Amino acid sequence: MSAEFVFATAQYESGDWDSAPLLPANIIDTIARYTEIPVAPTGVIVPLSDARLFRYPLVYLTGHLPVRFSDAERTNVRAFVDRGGLLFVDDHNHDIDGTFHKTATEEIARTVAPLTELPNDHPLYSAFFKFDGPPTTSHELNGWGDNLVHKHLLAVQRRGRISVLYSNKDYSSEWNYHPDNKRFLSVDNTRFAVNLVVYALTA
Amino acid sequence: MSALDRLRRVRAVLIVGVVLRAVLWGTFVAISIIATVAIADAITPIGLTLRILLRAIAIVGGLAVGFTFLWRDRRVRELDRVALWIEERVPSLAFALVTAVEMSDSTFVVGVRSSDWTTLAWRRGFSRLAAPLAALLAASVVLLALPSGAVARAGRPRPGDSLARTSGTGANRIEPLVAEVRPPVYSGQRRQEIDEPRDVRALVGSVITLRGRGDANGVVATTSADTIRAASDADRWQITLRVSARPVAIRLTDGRHVRIVAVEPIVDAPPQVALTRPVHDTVLRTPSGRLPLAAEATDDYGIASASFEYIVSSGEGETFTFKSGVLGAVRASGKQLQLAATLSLDSLHLKPGDIVHLRAVAHDANDVGGPGLGVSDTRAIRIARAGEYDSVAVDAAAPPDAQQDVISERMLIMLAEALEKQRPRLAHDSVLHESQAIAADQKKLRRAIGDVVFTRLGGVPTGEEHTDDSPERAKTMQDMLARADSATNRSVDPVDFEGGESPVVAVNKPLLEAYNAMWDASTALELGEPDTALPHMRRALAAIQQARQAERLYLRGAPASVVIDIDKVRLKGKDKGASSARRPEMPIDSAASLRAVRLDRAIEVARTNSSAAADSLLLLRIDALADAPTFASALADAAAAVRRGDGAAATNALARARRVLVGSPVARDSLSRWGIIP
Repeated sequence: MSAEFVFATAQYESGDWDSAPLLPANIIDTIARYTEIPVAPTGVIVPLSDARLFRYPLVYLTGHLPVRFSDAERTNVRAFVDRGGLLFVDDHNHDIDGTFHKTATEEIARTVAPLTELPNDHPLYSAFFKFDGPPTTSHELNGWGDNLVHKHLLAVQRRGRISVLYSNKDYSSEWNYHPDNKRFLSVDNTRFAVNLVVYALTA
Repeated sequence: MSALDRLRRVRAVLIVGVVLRAVLWGTFVAISIIATVAIADAITPIGLTLRILLRAIAIVGGLAVGFTFLWRDRRVRELDRVALWIEERVPSLAFALVTAVEMSDSTFVVGVRSSDWTTLAWRRGFSRLAAPLAALLAASVVLLALPSGAVARAGRPRPGDSLARTSGTGANRIEPLVAEVRPPVYSGQRRQEIDEPRDVRALVGSVITLRGRGDANGVVATTSADTIRAASDADRWQITLRVSARPVAIRLTDGRHVRIVAVEPIVDAPPQVALTRPVHDTVLRTPSGRLPLAAEATDDYGIASASFEYIVSSGEGETFTFKSGVLGAVRASGKQLQLAATLSLDSLHLKPGDIVHLRAVAHDANDVGGPGLGVSDTRAIRIARAGEYDSVAVDAAAPPDAQQDVISERMLIMLAEALEKQRPRLAHDSVLHESQAIAADQKKLRRAIGDVVFTRLGGVPTGEEHTDDSPERAKTMQDMLARADSATNRSVDPVDFEGGESPVVAVNKPLLEAYNAMWDASTALELGEPDTALPHMRRALAAIQQARQAERLYLRGAPASVVIDIDKVRLKGKDKGASSARRPEMPIDSAASLRAVRLDRAIEVARTNSSAAADSLLLLRIDALADAPTFASALADAAAAVRRGDGAAATNALARARRVLVGSPVARDSLSRWGIIP
């Protein structure tokens, strides 16, 4: 495993895994901006069925289409979380009645365990920046998707540690912009990603 | 009635006597053996198997004795023997009766009274029955005097009859012990009783009832989650618990007496579902027609229902819509199911770009922790967009299974380099052996290259060469190309290397160069000359790389590549905060390490207290059942061996457990298969 943190995007067979192509660069920029964590300047794309998955402590998965793992992907993901990896799944549809949500939650339950609500005082929300819960996104505030503001993230926890983190908040849309455009924001909306990375590396 | 008729009546009376006597003696022998077994069992408990055997011996012994008596008196059926028997007892007949029998003429004994003969026969019969009747009576008295439980254990031995034993009563109420296992109704399995249970395997949801003799007061079962006090049932106690999904060690205590019963749950696995049609993902040019669907489902206890599910996703970018449905739903019973249905693509009103995701699902009949859901892999049927080429959509197929054992050229080069490096230290035979092994892999890879060329030209994948010894094999690049082209009839002049303009040449030239180089390399490797082979192998690798570079396709288009200048973002030299202190994760094998320590302790305890060591091994087994079944199996054998004092078997089982836990030592007497491990 490399000494520096590498942001990994999961590639899976059933859906549009590359629906947020600018997000990795944006998160890498954020990590570099706020922390001294050694970080690779580019992210990687790692197939879920590939043993390279085990090189990365945090793997990001998103998409709009149905999530149906193949046997090889399911076996690998199970081994990945067994070994302490954190899989961050974000619904790019921000819709709890959507197909991504239904199929992804079913697949996570089948592969790892059923998702439960993550309390808003979980250490994830204070791993670096202090949050009172998952930060809202412009997409849910604008009433897109399911027209809901989700108060909690969902998670599978093992021995008090998050193995799978699931979001309906559409961070994939919220964070999918070129990092140079951060200068137009009064408050950096990607700061929660720092908590994710720090939590994945330290918890 | 003639004399002969009267004689036949006497014979019938004698036969009845003989049969009754045989039956009485046989019954006496059988009852005697059972009574003896019952008495012995009351003194020292006899195992179930031996009791079943002894009961069989009692039955066979009784029959043998009875048949012996019948065989000895078999002559009673012969009329002349009966006549002689009467002549012995009535001398006044002066052989007239025997003569009458021989001549079949009753007139020889006219005037003789026959009633005396019948009386003689009855008297004889009763006198011969007295002894067996007395013996049988005595045996029956003994049998009746014994406790009914003891007689039942000897006469009708069955699993779970330990509680009927008369011996062993005392302060220890958890000895003897019987476990009754009642599986859940949906499984269709039968109730089971186990004597002296130590390791019970039962389906999740089963009800286990532990029973013992005596009052319930003070008998307690403790598990990691609960403490259960025994309930009274007549002169016995019983404890009932339900089998959960986790292995449990039940600690039964009665005062100072303790025993452990391990309960290993059998988890009802969800159905296994395979979608057999459609076989692959595919792209359709037009969204019409009917798509046949087929699936197979199997389950360990029974399938309750099954169906096909589909999701249609439409749209692109950020805008997607979905619709879903169910097809061919069936209620089922049995462990296997063939599912079939037809999907009408017209009814889905598909548009270009739409994707139909298909899968089969099956539920089992588990009404305890289920129902278990089994799903097949998903197949995607995509409707091509206008202007989209089919070839782009289908080229990304995974390599066929047959090629997965082929080692890459890069790895072969590493092997050859490692062999060349170690060559001065190895004997010639070793070098030759290893070199030929690499040559074999090189040949496999060369064949794969040949198949790729043929497949791309539309020919049969194995058309290039079936065996190395084939006289028609391709020996040169031109030969290979000519054979490939003749198989497909693609071009007029396939071997057009001069101008390099033939499309066949243009597409396949790098691969054909690789093919030729591999041929030279494998020839050198066959001779044990890796140094000669290496330049050819490197040439082959370069050609393969060239082919890959030339034909790389980006099905989704090249993704945007944004490289972050970390130093620039960090305004190098400025302190922008630090991450939290990192705590090391527990080692991956921490559980194995802990188990190794526990195993060592159990072995240490075995030196002084084998029973405690067996219990420790049993508890360790319960802990390991969920994630290390092989280790748990070895521990079960070890615990059993330790308990029965079999040191050799225990050592073997413990060694097996340790090998599973920490791995076997590795010994190498030649170059590693991979050649790069020092």
